[in-house]
Amino acid sequence: MKMNCLISKCLLRPQTYSRLIANRNVTNQPVSKVHPLSKNPLRTIHSETISKAYADKIIQETELSRDHLTPELNLHLITQSCRLWKAQPEDSPFPEPFWAFYWPGGQAVARYVLDSPYLVKGKRVLDFGCGCGASGLAALKSKAKMVMFNDIDEVSIEAVKLNGISNKINVSKTSTENLIGSSCEEYDVLLVGDMLYDTDFADEVLLWLDNIRKRDKLVLIGDPGRFALASHPLKADLRCFAKYHLSKTTTLENNGYSQACVWSFL
Amino acid sequence: MKQSHLHASWESVAAGASTEADLRQALPFLLPKKMSLKVLVGVKRVIDYAVKIRVRPDKLGVVTDGVKHSMNPFDEIAVEEAVRLKEKKIAKEVIAVSCGPAQAQETIRTALAMGADRGIHVEVPAKEMEKLEPLHVSKILAKLVEKEGGDLLIVGKQAIDDDTNATAQMTASLLNWPQATFASEIKKADGELDVTREIDGGLESIKVKLPAVVSADLRLNEPRYATLPNIMKAKKKKIQKLKPADLSVDVTPHLEVVEVVDPPVREAGIKVDDVDTLVAKLKEAGRI
Repeated sequence: MKMNCLISKCLLRPQTYSRLIANRNVTNQPVSKVHPLSKNPLRTIHSETISKAYADKIIQETELSRDHLTPELNLHLITQSCRLWKAQPEDSPFPEPFWAFYWPGGQAVARYVLDSPYLVKGKRVLDFGCGCGASGLAALKSKAKMVMFNDIDEVSIEAVKLNGISNKINVSKTSTENLIGSSCEEYDVLLVGDMLYDTDFADEVLLWLDNIRKRDKLVLIGDPGRFALASHPLKADLRCFAKYHLSKTTTLENNGYSQACVWSFL
Repeated sequence: MKQSHLHASWESVAAGASTEADLRQALPFLLPKKMSLKVLVGVKRVIDYAVKIRVRPDKLGVVTDGVKHSMNPFDEIAVEEAVRLKEKKIAKEVIAVSCGPAQAQETIRTALAMGADRGIHVEVPAKEMEKLEPLHVSKILAKLVEKEGGDLLIVGKQAIDDDTNATAQMTASLLNWPQATFASEIKKADGELDVTREIDGGLESIKVKLPAVVSADLRLNEPRYATLPNIMKAKKKKIQKLKPADLSVDVTPHLEVVEVVDPPVREAGIKVDDVDTLVAKLKEAGRI
């Protein structure tokens, strides 16, 4: 598999990456109940080793998939043919791998950004809670000036870098800071893909986003109709800008939802 | 400045639509509000169907300590139906309800992973749970449905531990709602439900006005199992905790279990050589 060598902060060279993809062993993996990446406080682990370990594990446990609303992007996801699809949370080597699934809200935002590139072209974009990074990658494809990929899960950031490589997109700015409450002055556009699944968290996020849009920033929220958004008072200030039907596979991962919308404040 | 790019996106979306139907599809806030039901689903944590049941030494119940429990299979079917209604946009919200000790939360989480939006756990300690009767559960469900403003209550037709097959019927009566029990198919039709029921003589089709109580039978659907992405999202969904007293329901038992015994062991039969011997043996046994 020929890969263009991009300048990227990911510590995995493209040749190594392609070899890992080819030799990945999907079955016969012993199910380990202990988190293999648990940090032993008595040993100082070099951060490069952690990155490589995460990247190896991600490639092992996921599959490259285009089966979603943005087939232009090839993403490392846990699909039905991966062993973790049917696993219980205890069997997963990653604690809560939200980045391993392409959530409907994120799909809607990414699709909208790819279809309406003028919204992000030349702009500074923040992909908040980026997960697999699809929304930010879509923004880069649509010629955004700069995209910051933000997720508090460091494994997610590794996944984003891998997704960048597999789509020949340069992922240069990443962060694991909790940005809720911050001013976001340095961004013009905020992409929020499917972050409103927890009522308390949704409350925090929506109030923060409301403050940001009051300073004339564009906020795009993707959501499949989750209860936390549907029942929130701020919903009255939101308008639906796009509605998409989800693929069969996506509906299997998200029981009860068959569509996803992109919302923005008016 | 901001207005212009927002209008531009509306226009481009509208420009892509060739008919009025497309336009409404593209700009969904133009659509009139569709009738959307609030559905409550009752789920019960029972001993798993595959476990070999053992009678307790005190003969007042069965052994439950350390035994595998799971959601009542008919309740799984009820949850599946509610989630399908949500996918068809007939239901706007699905709330999973369970009465029981702390472990009942696992059952509610399973329902959430299957697609319910939130859960309500009515806490009943383990000791009291043994004596909880269908009438108590019906009163609790009726109060909850009123409190939440539900339009439809779906439960499994019976629980595989007590097989009483009474909760759906009594709840409907307490609410003064129509009931459609042993449902094997549910279709929605303008403020009513078209339900096919499995009865002794075959199948019966009835129309029930909403709001209504439905009990799920085996052939209503095949429930989905919860996959990792759904389990992960289910952990973030809300489960509200209540006590029966919060709903003004008294759970004092009216029934007393006198004895629980194993069914008699089936004895072997006898083979006879000819019809005369058969007749003689039957006369001996007092059968003829």
